[in-house]
Amino acid sequence: MNMLESRYPAVSETSGKISGRAAAPAFLEVDGATVRYGNVHVLEDLSLSVAKGEFVALLGSSGCGKTTLLRTIAGFMQPVSGRIAVDGRDVTRQPPDKRGMALVFQTYALWPHMTVAQNIGYGLKLRRKPRTEIAAKVAEMQTLLGLEGLGGRKPAALSGGQRQRVALGRALAIGPDILLLDEPLSNLDARIRLTVRHEISALQKRLGITAIHVTHDREEAMVMADRIVILNAGKIAQLGTPQEVYNNPASPFVAAFMGAENVMALTAEVRGGKIGIEAGPTNRACEISCGDRSVSSGRLEARFRSEAAELLDAAASPPVSGEALILDGTVAQASYPGGVWRHVVKIGDQQVVVDSSRAFASGESVSVRVPSEALFLFDGGVSDAKGMAL
Amino acid sequence: MRRHLPGLLLVAPALAIILFLFVVPLVGAFVGAFQTNAGFGFGNFVKTYQLYSRDIVFTILIVALSAILTAAFSVAIGGYLTLGSNRLAIVLLRWLYRWPLFIPFIVVGQILRTFLAKNGLMNNIFVASGVVSPLHTFGMLDWRGVVIAFVWKQVPFVTLLLAGAMASLDRGTIEAARNLGASRLRILIEIVLPQAAPTLMVGLTLSIVTMMSVLSVPLMIASQSPTVITVDMAFRINAYGDYGVANALGLISLVLTGTVAWFYLRQTMREAAR
Repeated sequence: MNMLESRYPAVSETSGKISGRAAAPAFLEVDGATVRYGNVHVLEDLSLSVAKGEFVALLGSSGCGKTTLLRTIAGFMQPVSGRIAVDGRDVTRQPPDKRGMALVFQTYALWPHMTVAQNIGYGLKLRRKPRTEIAAKVAEMQTLLGLEGLGGRKPAALSGGQRQRVALGRALAIGPDILLLDEPLSNLDARIRLTVRHEISALQKRLGITAIHVTHDREEAMVMADRIVILNAGKIAQLGTPQEVYNNPASPFVAAFMGAENVMALTAEVRGGKIGIEAGPTNRACEISCGDRSVSSGRLEARFRSEAAELLDAAASPPVSGEALILDGTVAQASYPGGVWRHVVKIGDQQVVVDSSRAFASGESVSVRVPSEALFLFDGGVSDAKGMAL
Repeated sequence: MRRHLPGLLLVAPALAIILFLFVVPLVGAFVGAFQTNAGFGFGNFVKTYQLYSRDIVFTILIVALSAILTAAFSVAIGGYLTLGSNRLAIVLLRWLYRWPLFIPFIVVGQILRTFLAKNGLMNNIFVASGVVSPLHTFGMLDWRGVVIAFVWKQVPFVTLLLAGAMASLDRGTIEAARNLGASRLRILIEIVLPQAAPTLMVGLTLSIVTMMSVLSVPLMIASQSPTVITVDMAFRINAYGDYGVANALGLISLVLTGTVAWFYLRQTMREAAR
């Protein structure tokens, strides 16, 4: 058994997908944290609890407070109220190095005047470890991260992917309980990013380390994380497993952020576990089971993804099988991004994007069929992606 | 040739100025250093060695000590501006440290002469506050005064460059060290300073050249023997019209500053090659 495995107990078998509602004991706890920059509240009374060995992604667009939350957890920013605890120990007023956390920076922040080995070993040097132990640990990190033979190089002589791994090695070398990742992949080429994603999450599973990962990339969060925290304007918009936030968005904002950009206004009446959608100028009447949805009668906002809807010839009568919303419109534009044809369909004075395996000509009359399971319904009129009424 | 004519015409005035006001006088002084009454030779250098070897060593020591102290103060001030946690102290320091930049050397000499003298302001304050008895007052109008004046004048300049370089560092490199548990002093010495070192070297090189060429301060504070090369040069010319020895002293100054510049250039080229 090598040093790493002894430092991190082998929990790889147990650290599967942990549900958003898991009752696992909280290892890292953010309790009602409010953080301000001057007079601007960046985080508002935010609470989050993370279990040991869990990989949590903080997802949101720029300015939503995700990096601020990470920096507050790391100890580089102080909340004006609320507390942060690790394993039951209050660390709110502790300096960054007394929290058992290591941060990987977006820019990597490697020290350009030090070699790879010196960068990785610096944290151990600060802890006054014997030279032989530092050398052994550095070598182990290099092996773990595929940096063998690069120990004597300066960061300037490394590729982006290698620098990223050195930054990871520097953080992991001190054996932190919690690994904080601040958009660590955003400076990498698109192709390398895909492989590094898997490398990082495989490493995290192998070490059983608790990880918090900030990203604005939805797919990155989906692929890497056990749970996703979607932040909007300093508050948690939704928290759950990738499947939960993808399939059951809690608000129009989350639905839009998770790719359901097509939006329609509907009028409906809810009775007896069914949502009766009234016929409108562009939609046909239909009845849909409530399922997980909690909506009330009146104006509704409907959202769906372009790939989840079906495009049908208007002349052909739509298949009656299954619950679905049918919208009528005309094709305004068709393009081929690969795999499927993407159509911009004009429905009334609105436009939606719908994918189809076959191309429809521009100007053709079509029906858009949105199956019940792909249709997200929310109370209220149509709002924009920020959750504000238009 | 015709194609290049407009370009050559454009550059001609600037080139002429450099040639006539810079290259010609420099070559003249260089040649003059080897000109004696008995024709070309090393006579001026022999005379310079006999009369002023002590002053040359004195100059090197004073400038070296001033440069070391300037570096130490600049690193301390720049470091506090970059890593300090007291906002008020940083604002105050940032506002204060630049003042001497706008005060000419001659005025610095004047200020320090009245301040450092045996019956000057410094001793008056010491006596008034009971730190020193009137019998034990001490003047510093010697090498110490020159060093104080040089450091007083050069620290703001070097700090200005250094603090700028430190401020433009990736803050992440500082936070990463803090995150791993480095103290502020260690961050300054092991993280910030190595990254800002090239700028510190530029500042010190320029400072050394400046200190080597200042006449007013040593003349006002410490013109007794031993003194610095500039005072000797002025003396040779004003008292004896001896341009030969003055030129030889000038050439020696040039060799000294050139050596510093050469070390600096070699260092930057090494860094660039990496």
